[in-house]
Amino acid sequence: MSLSRTRPTPNRQHRRNRRAARKKAASRVIPPEGVPLELPVASLGVRVAAQLTDLLITFAAAVSILILLSMLFFMYWSTVFALGALLFFFIRVPYYILSELVWNGQTLGKKLMKIKVVAHDGGSLTTHSLVLRNMMKEAEVFLPGTLLLTLDQTAPWAVWASLAWVAMAFAIPLSNPHRMRLGDMLAGTHVIRLPVPILLKDLAIEAPRAISANGQRFTFLPHQLDHYGGFELQTLEKLLRAQENRMSQSSAEQNRQAMTAIVERIRQKIGYADAVEPDDELVFLQAFYSAQRAHLEQRQLFGDRRANKFYADARPRGTG
Amino acid sequence: MRDEAALMRSARFRAEREQDWIKLEALVAKAERGGVQSLQFAEARDLASFYRQATTSLAIAREISLDKALLEYLEALAARAYLIVYAPQERLGGLIGRFFAASGPQAMRRSALFVAAGFLCMALGGLTGFLLYLESNDWYYVFMPSGLAAGRGPDASTEFLRSVIYDDSPAATGLGAFAAYLFSHNTRIAIFVFGLGVFACLPAILLTFYNGLIFGAFYALHVERGLGWDLGGWLSVHGVTELSAICIACGAGVQLGSAVLFPGQNTRKEALRLAGRDAVKLAIIAALMLFVAALLEGFARQLIQDAGARYLIGWGVGALWLAWFLLGGRSRR
Repeated sequence: MSLSRTRPTPNRQHRRNRRAARKKAASRVIPPEGVPLELPVASLGVRVAAQLTDLLITFAAAVSILILLSMLFFMYWSTVFALGALLFFFIRVPYYILSELVWNGQTLGKKLMKIKVVAHDGGSLTTHSLVLRNMMKEAEVFLPGTLLLTLDQTAPWAVWASLAWVAMAFAIPLSNPHRMRLGDMLAGTHVIRLPVPILLKDLAIEAPRAISANGQRFTFLPHQLDHYGGFELQTLEKLLRAQENRMSQSSAEQNRQAMTAIVERIRQKIGYADAVEPDDELVFLQAFYSAQRAHLEQRQLFGDRRANKFYADARPRGTG
Repeated sequence: MRDEAALMRSARFRAEREQDWIKLEALVAKAERGGVQSLQFAEARDLASFYRQATTSLAIAREISLDKALLEYLEALAARAYLIVYAPQERLGGLIGRFFAASGPQAMRRSALFVAAGFLCMALGGLTGFLLYLESNDWYYVFMPSGLAAGRGPDASTEFLRSVIYDDSPAATGLGAFAAYLFSHNTRIAIFVFGLGVFACLPAILLTFYNGLIFGAFYALHVERGLGWDLGGWLSVHGVTELSAICIACGAGVQLGSAVLFPGQNTRKEALRLAGRDAVKLAIIAALMLFVAALLEGFARQLIQDAGARYLIGWGVGALWLAWFLLGGRSRR
């Protein structure tokens, strides 16, 4: 926590917590197996980017067909425009529906942006919902959009109406945590970011024997492991994993200082009497990580889940 | 001395199952690249069982492990596998066939009341426009957008009006005219009528009523000049299909709007989703009808100059639509 930033008022903090909780709840999908899965909701910006990519692809297809046609047949300019709009329409609508059907909820743009349509209830996507959400896209965005482009100045109310309509189409996704547009609501779908599975090695196994350079062995007593909770453990995990990255000269120096400070802090907190040599700091932290994790996991098995170091305050009263 | 890491339950848990997860990851990657069809039989079978194992592992890991990296990996792996296992499994061809043979007309019959409301809006608008025009010619200018009238107003001569109806030199026929018509006034109206229905029905009803007003006033103008029968033929060719399409789109819009207004026992979102099942089919039917109407308008209207034949074609096509709606998708007993 930096000192320069003003501390949020309790009220604002409360609201922020609530928003975070809602966001977390929104990213939960329950498949038929009944194990809730975490599928983060795609942000609006990414979706617009995917949309633009798709638009570009279909537009390019329409234009190239139009050029081919105009080379084969003689056409008036007005006919070319009308035909172009028609072609664009008849390429665009099947493109969205077919590509989402064939590629399981992904168009080319969505593939590029690594997002995907999923059924809101956790079941499988149905053709009905894919057709519905893409048809509504026409009514929601494209038609008022083309109206805006093609209308003349003689009917200002229509321009304003279509502008308001487009604005509303963008406001609806912002007003719900799943970022569903109208078509998504009707079809019962929402768009998620594809998670990437990366299996990192297990620190507890990979760690070298907890023996320092001079043969000293780091051991921790149970009462020394009662100071921290899961959050602190996972923060330490992050730090230890970061040690494997290649570091520049200056950041390596910074890292070394941070390690010294952290080791000092932990030693004071848990009351670890022996001094730790600078060369042993990493080994000490790895040993502490393993011991702390084993301890916390064991406590958890006994129903004593410790979310963070304030676990003693958070425990419900009157049960003991 | 015993090794601490070997004792740790979550590390043992991971070591025992890691190989299966890595196999699942490879299967998922393969299925994502080439679709589930690219999997061999044994691979597809393994995918399903490994997926179930992975979800079980995830549920256990959430309880016993504090290794954040492991939890995140399992979350992501189970999610990716879930998306592959629960992919849509319908064939497109069968879907289109089913829509035409059964589900389209069935949806029409289910929402007959809403469609009737759409027709009622249009008819009331037409009647109002007709009577208002007979009361005072000036109403015509109030209702009619100038672009749509194209010179046909109370000021125009009867000869001019007749020349539009029976166009002797059809220059603007063919594909170009067809394309232009498709994006013309009525298509826009239909789409707006459907889309705006979500806002508590009112915009859909108003727009349909307004469209009826235009139509009524336009018709009254020609009746006054003794061209009522001829205009009827001119409009019938495509109008029967086109105006019905607008009424059906209005019905779909009203259906959505009424789900918002009267959700019953469901939440509004849920009610909207349920209403959308039929409404979208109605919208597809309306779009199809507009497409046919544009074909008729672009080609048939200028080719056929006889009023009687125009009536026959227009109402004949209308009767075909009606037959589809009434007879399609009924199960044989």
